[in-house]
Amino acid sequence: MVTHIKFTLIVLTALGLVACGQDDRSAYGTPTSSIINGTKIYRHSIDGKPTSLDPIKASTIYSNFLVVNIFDTLYSYKYLARPYQLKPNLAAAMPTISEDGLRYEIKLKTNARFHDHPAFDNGQGRAVVASDVVYSIKRSFDPKNNASGAWLWQGKIQGLDDWKTQGADYDVPVAGLQAIDDHTLVIQLTQAYPQLIYSLATGFSGIVPREVVAALGAEFGSKPIGSGPFYLDRFDSETAYLKKNPRFRSEPLDIYFEGFDEAKHGALGIQALHGLSPPFVDQLEINFIKETASRWQSFTKGNEIQYTTVPKDKQNTVLMSRNPIRLHPQITQNYHHSYGIEAGFVYHGFNMQDPTFGHASDPEQDAKNKALRCAIRQVHDWQQKNQAFYFGLGTVFPGIIPPSVPEYDPNLSRDSITTDVAAAKALLAAHGWQTEDLPVFEYHVNGSVLQKQFFEQLRGFLNQLGYPNNRIEYVPYPSFGNFNQAVKNRQVPFFFMGWTLDYPDAENTLQLFYGPNEAPGSNNFNYQNPAFDALFEQSSTMQPSPERTRLYQQMNQMVIDDCVVISGLSRNKIHLWHKNVITFPDREIVGGFHLRYVDVK
Amino acid sequence: MTAINPSIQPPHASLWLKSWQHFKQDRIGMLGLLIVLLYFLLACGVWLGLWGQGWSEISAQFNQGPSASHWLGTNAIGQDVAERGIYATKVAFEVGLVVTVLATLLGVLLGAVAGFYQGSWIDALLLWVMGVLDSIPFYLFVAAVAYAMAEHVFAMHMAMIAVFWTTVARIIRSEVIALKQLEFVEAAQAMGQHHRAILWAHIIPNTSHLIIIQTTLIFVTAIKTEVILSFLGIGIKNGISWGLMIAESTNDIQAGYFNNFLTASLLLFVLVIGFNFFSDALQDALDPKINSHHAK
Repeated sequence: MVTHIKFTLIVLTALGLVACGQDDRSAYGTPTSSIINGTKIYRHSIDGKPTSLDPIKASTIYSNFLVVNIFDTLYSYKYLARPYQLKPNLAAAMPTISEDGLRYEIKLKTNARFHDHPAFDNGQGRAVVASDVVYSIKRSFDPKNNASGAWLWQGKIQGLDDWKTQGADYDVPVAGLQAIDDHTLVIQLTQAYPQLIYSLATGFSGIVPREVVAALGAEFGSKPIGSGPFYLDRFDSETAYLKKNPRFRSEPLDIYFEGFDEAKHGALGIQALHGLSPPFVDQLEINFIKETASRWQSFTKGNEIQYTTVPKDKQNTVLMSRNPIRLHPQITQNYHHSYGIEAGFVYHGFNMQDPTFGHASDPEQDAKNKALRCAIRQVHDWQQKNQAFYFGLGTVFPGIIPPSVPEYDPNLSRDSITTDVAAAKALLAAHGWQTEDLPVFEYHVNGSVLQKQFFEQLRGFLNQLGYPNNRIEYVPYPSFGNFNQAVKNRQVPFFFMGWTLDYPDAENTLQLFYGPNEAPGSNNFNYQNPAFDALFEQSSTMQPSPERTRLYQQMNQMVIDDCVVISGLSRNKIHLWHKNVITFPDREIVGGFHLRYVDVK
Repeated sequence: MTAINPSIQPPHASLWLKSWQHFKQDRIGMLGLLIVLLYFLLACGVWLGLWGQGWSEISAQFNQGPSASHWLGTNAIGQDVAERGIYATKVAFEVGLVVTVLATLLGVLLGAVAGFYQGSWIDALLLWVMGVLDSIPFYLFVAAVAYAMAEHVFAMHMAMIAVFWTTVARIIRSEVIALKQLEFVEAAQAMGQHHRAILWAHIIPNTSHLIIIQTTLIFVTAIKTEVILSFLGIGIKNGISWGLMIAESTNDIQAGYFNNFLTASLLLFVLVIGFNFFSDALQDALDPKINSHHAK
């Protein structure tokens, strides 16, 4: 018994000590110099690991982040300009586009060379030529490669889909994808595709050397060779070590062309880099740290990672006020910071093929189902979600065109994101729904503590509608892969997901609702609306214009009216970096492209 | 008021009465019993709908400290931590009761059969099954069964029953082997009683002191295991448990919020300590050697 009592006292003392937390801000280490023996080292951090460094498999932001540093893409985005603006990267200039919008002629820079590799003659990287671009795009259509990015060009480039079905022989030319000479590429489209240039700025379009891919086979994903500003030195499950490509083409940084704004960027020291040729650091370490406490610890230590986004559990430590965003003086004294809205959003979606909540062939039942979906949307409290999970920093917007794209309409009615429990109940009653005959509401999700809290909050919203707890079920999956598979198999009636834009064009979110893209395609909602599809097809060949924006907004309204989705919220990210680092970080559209412009002191 | 010398027992006092007298003298044991009864009352109140019913309600008061409206504060989505802690007591008792009753029943039955038919193929088979189950690391086995049966509402319960019955069975088997050598069993056999009747009417009732001790041990182990499984995400899914609250607190603590962690940990800690006090005292009280020593 005495042992028990002693044990009790020891544990209670331990609990007491745990409860006495200390102020996080009191433990900041002084950043040490990042120049060691004359070598400039920058240590970046991201919150996930890349699965492959092969461009055709760069489907996650983590893979893409590294791929665009190792490989060249024809186009990229201006470093500092917001909204995002395209610029030539390996291309010498923006493309020459025929009047019908079907023929793109792209000139390549003549001074780009691949990194060295034994597969090249004498082991020295050769010049990058237009046929490398042709080969690299073809790889996405080779069935053996199991590529993730073919959707960007599927049905868009003349002869490319046929090339795939006819055996994917790389020596067989594709009519719509031709290298006219070493530095001229011509792309012939089947129909106008205004997003083509955006697609050539994604990691999927990274340019690879054929002889190295042939020599390495599947190993190419872990031993990539490209022509980008950095080459991969080492790569393990925790860190990627990259080194400066000593023969990277000379392209002096013009900060004014890149969108420099004195008010926004003036205090960051970027002016000092004007006229210098990137990359500026000799070594680049990209640390994969998912666990937020470890990332914060490493960042504040001073001699480890030099950049982090602020995790949710540290926002109390960092923020002094949210509206407007102001950081604690101790943070601003120690670190540079920036913040901005993400190029994407989070949303809840209904599977429209689900007989309970989706479309029903019986018009009366269909109207009932729609009323149920709309009522659920009406009790969803975005403000509460924003406060609870995004520290009140998210931007709530109606529909599926987020604020990060130029087609966003700030004057759109906010009814679809305004909570009105009484109206929701009235809507259910008007369509004959009684509490006792409400269908079981299944919430499928990738099982985790955070996702469980999302579920519990939504259950609270549904309770307000009269939904009893015993009709709301939590269905967790062991991994996101399993959950995603279930969504693609159309087994999930309701889901919570996020979407990160591949390019700053609302077409990239509208295609999520295009009928032919239904699951296993990107239309997880399995939304089928002929009027929507007709508008989508009409707009998909149009160049950016007020007319196209009008069509986009019509489609947006259709999705809102049909209550297909409860949307949305774009998160605001706060970036922090050490004061001995000169950078303007971005993990969205610009993504890894910004790392070539990082310098350290 | 008449003082009674507890060492002086009336001649008709049963073993149970003696044990109770002995138990009453153990203050720590009584404290343990009191704690267990308090928790049981708490759980009964939830069953009867008297309290803890607002465990799933959300509000816009996130991570609030203790107040008159929220005694133990709120969590990250504005739920009342006290309500959740209290409701989780019911969940813990439900799991504890179901697992204890079924695991004990299975263990007693199979242990008694194995002991009674000691040396037969039934005994060999049951010993082999127990050996196999016991050779698998405890939490790994429970987690594997719970994971494999994830779709089933009682997956976690079945996983625990599948593990816990073997300990009971081994103890009961040993006791039955000892008991069946005694005269009263021989007498029953001489009277021509059927094996089943001897087992049920004479042997198993004489193992009741061991069964009671085992139930208290299984009960508290089941609660602890439920907390661990729920913490790992393979336990309670649609309700709330202390394990889930502790899992939630892994995010809270880094942000400097301790409501979930302290509430769930203390509720679990006090119950486990209470049960251990109670169980220890019970073992002492029901130990025939100690009782016979007191009787002298």
